[in-house]
Amino acid sequence: MRLPDVERGDSLRARTLIRLITAASGIRLPDAARVAFYHRRFVGPTFGTWTQAVMRGPSAWTVGERELMAAMVARWNSCDFCVGAHRAIAVRGVDPRVVAACLTDYRTAPVSERLRATLAFLETMTREPDALGAAHARAALDAGVSRAQLADAAAVAAVFNVITRYADALDFTVPGDAELDKAAGMMLKRGYG
Amino acid sequence: MGPTDVHGHHATALRTAATSPGATIDGRLRSAVLERAAGGSTPLPEPYDALARQIRDAAYRVTDGQVAAVREITGSDKGAFEVIMCACIGAGLARWDAAVRAIEEAGDAAP
Repeated sequence: MRLPDVERGDSLRARTLIRLITAASGIRLPDAARVAFYHRRFVGPTFGTWTQAVMRGPSAWTVGERELMAAMVARWNSCDFCVGAHRAIAVRGVDPRVVAACLTDYRTAPVSERLRATLAFLETMTREPDALGAAHARAALDAGVSRAQLADAAAVAAVFNVITRYADALDFTVPGDAELDKAAGMMLKRGYG
Repeated sequence: MGPTDVHGHHATALRTAATSPGATIDGRLRSAVLERAAGGSTPLPEPYDALARQIRDAAYRVTDGQVAAVREITGSDKGAFEVIMCACIGAGLARWDAAVRAIEEAGDAAP
């Protein structure tokens, strides 16, 4: 269910930002940004800081690979908004055919064994967290993933196991392809903070 | 510093921000929602329990009725928003904790 207070903004600052960004971009401000502007005394700034560090901070994974991981978590959690939004960003750094193949079946997609093994770890983490154990991590490490890389990827999955859930619980509007592409450009330029 | 520590302080800060005083609904309720969505076995009073479990198990199946019931009992959009966010954060942090355990145990077993 959509919450009207989130949609319109709960402060003069939020309402002004929604109006200005909408006017400048020419698209409806995506609901993810409206949530980021909402109730700033609560978790928003803290969660934004972690998300920015995870998605744009130092990592052996490229921004495109991290966005692809976000889209995969969204796929496993059946979140249409996040699949669309993060696929649109991922294809700006990863071959669109590879992104499409991954979203269909990462096990057969033309990706490195490191990425494939990492996605297998993230899938279990997302779908069966109680079953996740050292053997899953060891399989990724044996494929050549460093512990730091695996931790960075797990952080992407953790953050998007939060985001995909509120996107669905708050019934985010799924933009069309042209709007998703425009929003992807904004996300690469402005980040998540 | 271990490989998971880089993100560990962000996870701790998020858990603290979700449950600290100063939000609209009581911090104890927010903590209970977070723990329930993280897999805790202690049921919450309804309608909180149904929404927390739904967000934990399959958020794409959350119904308008589940959110509306929490909106009604908390009395505001902000109250409902806090419950939803705490449930989402609980589910996300439970997965982070599971990943950290797996990575650390795998590292401990490495030659």
